[in-house]
Amino acid sequence: MYLPIAEVSVNILILFGMGGMVGILSGMFGVGGGFLMTPLLIFYGIPPIVAVATEANQIVASSISGAYAHWRRAAVDIKMGTILLMGGVIGSLFGIRLFVLLKNLGQIDLIISLSYVILLGIIGTLTFVEGIRSMIIPNELRTIKKRNRERLWIYSLPLRTKFKKSGLYISIIPPLVIGFFVGILSSIMGIGGGFIMVPAMIYLLRMPTNVVIGTSLYQIIFVTSLVTILHAYENQTVDIMLALILMTGGVVGAQIGAALGHRLKAEQLRFMLGILILAVCIKILTSLVIEPQDLLTITDYI
Amino acid sequence: MMKKFFLYTFLIFIIQIQYSYADKTERSLITQIDDPHIQIGSNFFGGKLLVFGSISGRDLLKSDIIIKVQGKEKKSLIREKIKKYGIWINNKATLVEGVPSFYSIYSNRNINRITDTEFLVREEIGINNLKFTSRVGEPQVHYVHDAIKKKNTESNIFNENFTGIRIIGDKLFRSSIELPQEIKEGTYEVSIFFFEDQVLIDSDISNIFVNKTQSGKYIYNQANKNPLLYGIISVIIAWCAGLIIIGVSRVT
Repeated sequence: MYLPIAEVSVNILILFGMGGMVGILSGMFGVGGGFLMTPLLIFYGIPPIVAVATEANQIVASSISGAYAHWRRAAVDIKMGTILLMGGVIGSLFGIRLFVLLKNLGQIDLIISLSYVILLGIIGTLTFVEGIRSMIIPNELRTIKKRNRERLWIYSLPLRTKFKKSGLYISIIPPLVIGFFVGILSSIMGIGGGFIMVPAMIYLLRMPTNVVIGTSLYQIIFVTSLVTILHAYENQTVDIMLALILMTGGVVGAQIGAALGHRLKAEQLRFMLGILILAVCIKILTSLVIEPQDLLTITDYI
Repeated sequence: MMKKFFLYTFLIFIIQIQYSYADKTERSLITQIDDPHIQIGSNFFGGKLLVFGSISGRDLLKSDIIIKVQGKEKKSLIREKIKKYGIWINNKATLVEGVPSFYSIYSNRNINRITDTEFLVREEIGINNLKFTSRVGEPQVHYVHDAIKKKNTESNIFNENFTGIRIIGDKLFRSSIELPQEIKEGTYEVSIFFFEDQVLIDSDISNIFVNKTQSGKYIYNQANKNPLLYGIISVIIAWCAGLIIIGVSRVT
């Protein structure tokens, strides 16, 4: 199949399979999957700038269904989500400008790869270690740490407001900054950024765990929607055909993943996911460190 | 077998018709492109361009033919990777002008034996005879230009086939030119040169048109001409897909 924007011919079944596989992972682990899908698309030969923009578009679809499930359980802090979103909007506008600048300098592919090496390295290691720990130490023997309720300095920042749903009275500056940072990552890497936002909301904002995933998905829907529009407008790199294939694969995969997730042990799943993420990270890192076969790149001058 | 028979009968028929026209206009080289409109559809993995023809009053077995297919010239940026801080990064870009978007040479034997180098250089026949312009000085200019030729040859954008023209009988020549899947939309010039004893006897130029199919073209045009609207529609589609996922999840 010929993709009109990526301008490459692809095997639809392979892409469908990739969408399905990442969908399975999403269903099993409750992750968005953007951080795996974008590198996979690049490995397959989709130009990185198209992979990033198109993946942002796919995440819109997958996060809507996730957010809906949490919204029905009333597990979304709309006020917090909206402030995170405001930060995300500014971050994604800034991120797109940075993306265009790096593209013109011929360094965008490098920055995308480097960002993934750092991000996947951290997430992969954490997931892998957590998976091993869970397998070695049985649940009942693990000490359950009480959440640290000490007041952090970021609580005392100005512009404080009440977040009823989360039971917090904190400054809007930290969620704005978190949203801003995630917006930049979303623009440059084509990810939702939930795996950064969720820990940040738990450990920095001290939000109750039951509302963090729903709130992060709520923010992701709108930020990735904006990132898609900005990429389409600035770079013309959103391939709707590619996005549709991935979305279809994702729908099927997520259903299978959800069913599989119930059958497998959580710690085994985490261990496997950690290995997978680290493998992708090493593959990208290798391509950066080992001398490339071809030292020259040619691009059209626009 | 039958298909080939009908094809060649058809070719001879076309050429006979054109001969009668050629007699009046005193043209000796008659050429025809089977289908000058190439469609890049959803199943495009490369294509073939059938070029055939004949020349009146000459013995093709003693002659030589070169076919050149060339796309519009464009500007290219070339970057060399250098190792910095342990990783390979792109160095400063060099702008090179006059690089054809596609270039293919087909002939019945090595072009250097067909005619003199001066002609080949003047007409830019042969990858080594392509001329580019860039603002880099000697000796780097050769390195940069050779690199562009090498890179494009590796990715099938430039190619040469010195046994790519078949002579059928003593009247008809035929060539099936490979168009790679990397070929871009646009108008391409097909030049056909006919030589005898290293001397150019006649030449002919025609165009072929590579277009995306309606749906692909529509998507590409919308993305480039109305990028904002395209982006909004992409998001609406994703929202709809998300709602479908919700529906599917609720059913299952």
